[in-house]
Amino acid sequence: MKILAIALCLLLGGALVFVVGDFPDWGDPMSPPNDYRLSKHFIENTMEETSVPNIVTAVLADYRGFDTMFETAVIFTAALACFFLLRTWGRRPSKPDNVYMHLLTGVHVRLKHGKTLSPQSRTFARVESEILRYDLVTSTVCRLMIPFIQLFALYVVAHGHHSPGGGFQGGVILGASFLLLAISHDLRTLRERFPEVKLMYLLIAGIVLYSGVGFACMIYGGNFLEYEALGPLMGVTPVMAHSLGILFVEIGVAMTVMATMILIYNYISSLGTYERGL
Amino acid sequence: MISQQYPALLIIAPLLGAFVVAVLSWVDKKYCFGMAVASLAAATVSSILLLIDVVAQAPEPIVYKLGGWDPPFGISYYVDSLNALVLAVISCVTLVNLGTVRTAVNKEHPGKEGSFYALYLLAVTGHLGMVVTGDAFNLYVLLEIAALSGYALLGMGHRRAAFSTLNYLFMGTIGASFYLLGVGYLYIQTGSLNMVDIAGILTQTGATMTVLTAMSLIFIGVLIKMALFPMHAWLPNAYTHASSPASSLIAPMTTKVMVYVLIRMMLTVFTPDITFSMPPVTETMVWLASAAIVGCALLALSARNLKRMLTYILIAEVGYMVGGAWLGNTTGMTGAVLHIVNDAAMTLVMFLAAACMAYRLKSLDFDDLKGAFSKMPFTMAFFVLGAVAMIGVPPTCGFFSKWYLLLGGVQAGNAGMFGGYVFCGSLILSSLINVVLFFRVFEIAHFEPLAQGVDDHGHPIRPKIPMEEAPPTLVGGLALTAVALVVLGLFTSDIVDVIEAGVLPLLDPSLTDTIFLAVTGS
Repeated sequence: MKILAIALCLLLGGALVFVVGDFPDWGDPMSPPNDYRLSKHFIENTMEETSVPNIVTAVLADYRGFDTMFETAVIFTAALACFFLLRTWGRRPSKPDNVYMHLLTGVHVRLKHGKTLSPQSRTFARVESEILRYDLVTSTVCRLMIPFIQLFALYVVAHGHHSPGGGFQGGVILGASFLLLAISHDLRTLRERFPEVKLMYLLIAGIVLYSGVGFACMIYGGNFLEYEALGPLMGVTPVMAHSLGILFVEIGVAMTVMATMILIYNYISSLGTYERGL
Repeated sequence: MISQQYPALLIIAPLLGAFVVAVLSWVDKKYCFGMAVASLAAATVSSILLLIDVVAQAPEPIVYKLGGWDPPFGISYYVDSLNALVLAVISCVTLVNLGTVRTAVNKEHPGKEGSFYALYLLAVTGHLGMVVTGDAFNLYVLLEIAALSGYALLGMGHRRAAFSTLNYLFMGTIGASFYLLGVGYLYIQTGSLNMVDIAGILTQTGATMTVLTAMSLIFIGVLIKMALFPMHAWLPNAYTHASSPASSLIAPMTTKVMVYVLIRMMLTVFTPDITFSMPPVTETMVWLASAAIVGCALLALSARNLKRMLTYILIAEVGYMVGGAWLGNTTGMTGAVLHIVNDAAMTLVMFLAAACMAYRLKSLDFDDLKGAFSKMPFTMAFFVLGAVAMIGVPPTCGFFSKWYLLLGGVQAGNAGMFGGYVFCGSLILSSLINVVLFFRVFEIAHFEPLAQGVDDHGHPIRPKIPMEEAPPTLVGGLALTAVALVVLGLFTSDIVDVIEAGVLPLLDPSLTDTIFLAVTGS
C-alpha cells in the first residue's frame, strides 16, 4: 500500500513537472497574467482610483477586499473553533494556593488558603507553579523590548497602504509581543493584563469593524464594501474614501489577528483551562 | 433598491449574525438562539426573493459587484437559476435544522451553545458563499470558512470524534489544496479569476495542457471534498461520531454544495466544450460514480449502526449526482441538480430522525434500536417516510430525481456511452439495497424485542415499552421536513423548470455570449 502511495505521488508530481513545460516563460511580459487587462488595470489605475500607492494593498483590501474580509473571518473562525474544542471549565478552588519564588535563592514558597504577599515585594515574585523559573535577565530584557515591538507593530498596521505591511503582519507582530510576555513571565501575567473576555471582544470587534465598514457602505447607498459611498460621511473625496476605508479595515484585521494569536496560544498552553501556562 | 442587495444580504446576514451571537454568548446566553434564527431567517428570505427575481429575468443572470468594481477587476457574485435554487434549498434546510435542534444542542454542548450557534452560522455562510460566488478564488476562501467551522462542529462529539475529525481535516485540507493549485494553473493560463471571464478566455485558447491539468486538479480536489468513493474514507467516521445537531447540519449541506461546485466548474468555468472533450474521461467518471454507488451500498450493508449506515447511503447519493452530471446530456444534468435539492431534504429527514432517536436511546447501534417504534412512534413514522423517499417510491421526491437520472443514463447509453447503462444498473441495484437496509432497521425497531411465550389465549406476550417521544421541537422539525419530501415530489415539474432555465443556457453555446455580456459588460 505504501509503495502504491509513493508511486502515485511520483506519478502525479512527474505529471505536474511535465506540465511546467507548457507554462509561459519565466518573467515573460507577454504571459497571460502580465498581459491581461486585469493586471494592466491595477498597475495603471490604482493610484487614480484608490489613492493608495501600494498596489498590493489596494488589490488586497479594495479590489478584492471581500476575499480579505473572509480571510479575516477564517482567522476569527479558527479562534472560535479553538475555544469551542479546547476550552474546559474545571472546578476552581475558591482560595487557590499561591506560589512565590525567593528571587535571591530561587526557593519556592507555597502559601495556602489564598494568602498573598505584597506585589511590590522586591525579594519575592509570584510565579504560576514550582516548575516555573522566574528569570530576572529574561523578564527584564523582554519587558524592555515589548513596548518597542508593539510600537513597530502599530507602525506596520498604519503604514500598510503606503509601504509593505498591513493588518495581518502588524497583527501578528502585536500578538507576538504579548506571547513574549507570556513566555518570559507567565500566563497569569498576560491574563491579568488581558482577560479572556476582553480578548474575545477584541477578536469580534476587529472583524465587525471590517464587515461593519462594508455594511455601512450598503446603508449609504453603495454596494457592499464600496468605500466610495462613505466619502460624504467622512468628508473626503470618493477616491480618498477608498484610502481611508482600507486603513479602517486594516485596523480591524490587526485586532482580530492579534486576539486570535493570543487566544490560541493561551488555550493550547493551558490545556484549555486558561489558568496555568507552560 | 434593497432588491439589488439580496445576493450580498444573504451572505452578510448570517456572517454578522455569527459575530453578534459570539458577543451574546459572553453577555447573556439565552439570546444566542433567537439571534441565530433571526439572521438565518433573513438570509433565507433574501435567497427566496433572489430566486424569484432570477427566475423572472432568466436566462440573464444577476451580477452583484462587491466593492462596486466591475468584473473581472473586483469580485462579483453571479446568480442564475441554478445556484439561486441551491441557495434557497441550503438556506431553508439549515434554517429548519437550526430551529429544530435547540434542545439537542443544550443537551450535547452544555455551556458552549453560544459558540456552537456562531460556528453554525459561519458554516452556513461559507457554504452559501461558495454557491453564490462568481469568482474562483473567492470560492476557495469560503471553502476555508466552511471547512474550518465544519471541523470544529464535528470535532466536538462522542468518543472518537476528535480523532476522526482530524482525519477529515487532513483530507479536507488536501482536497482544498488541490482546488487552489488548480485555480493557480488557471490563472497562469488566463490571468483572470472571474469564472465567466475565464470561460471567455478558454474558448479562445482551447484546451491546452495547462488547462487540462487545472481541470483535473480542481476536479480531484472537489471530489475529495465531496467524498466520492474511493476518496470517501474520512466521511463515515467524522459524521458518525459527531454530535447529532452538528451532523444534521453538515450532512445535508456539505456534499450537496460540493456537487454544485463540481457542476459549476464543469459548465461555467471549463464550459461543456472542454469538460466533455475527452470521451474516455467522461466515461471513466460515470464508471467511477457507478462504482461509488454500488460500493457504498455494499458498505452500508455491513454497518451495524444507524448513523454509520446513513453516512454510507449519503456517499452513495454523491455517486448518483456525480454520475448524472457526467452523463453529458441535459436530462442527466437536470437529474443531478434535482437530486441536490431532493437529497438535501432527504438527508435532513434521516439525520433529524437519527437526532430524535439519539436523544432518547442509549446509542444508535442496531441492538439499541429495539422497540423504537413503540417508544417513539412519531419519530419512527417520519423516519419511514424519509426511508421511502430514499428508496425512491412515488410520490416522494426521491423517485423523481432517480427517474431523471435513469432517463439520462439510458439516453447516454443510446448515444454510445456504455457507462450510461452501467450507471442505470447500479442506480437500480442501490435502490434495491436501500430497501434491504431500511427494512432491516424497521424489522429490528418494530418487531424486537421478540415475544416471550404466549398467554392463555395464545397471544404472544410482548414486553411493554412506554412511549417516550423526543422533545416536540425536534419531532416538529422532523415532521415539517418529512412532509416537505412529498411536497417537493408533487412540485417536481416546477423545480425542473427552474433547473432547466439555469442549466440549458450553460449547455447551449449560442447563449454563452449573452451571459458573458451580462457579467463583464464588454
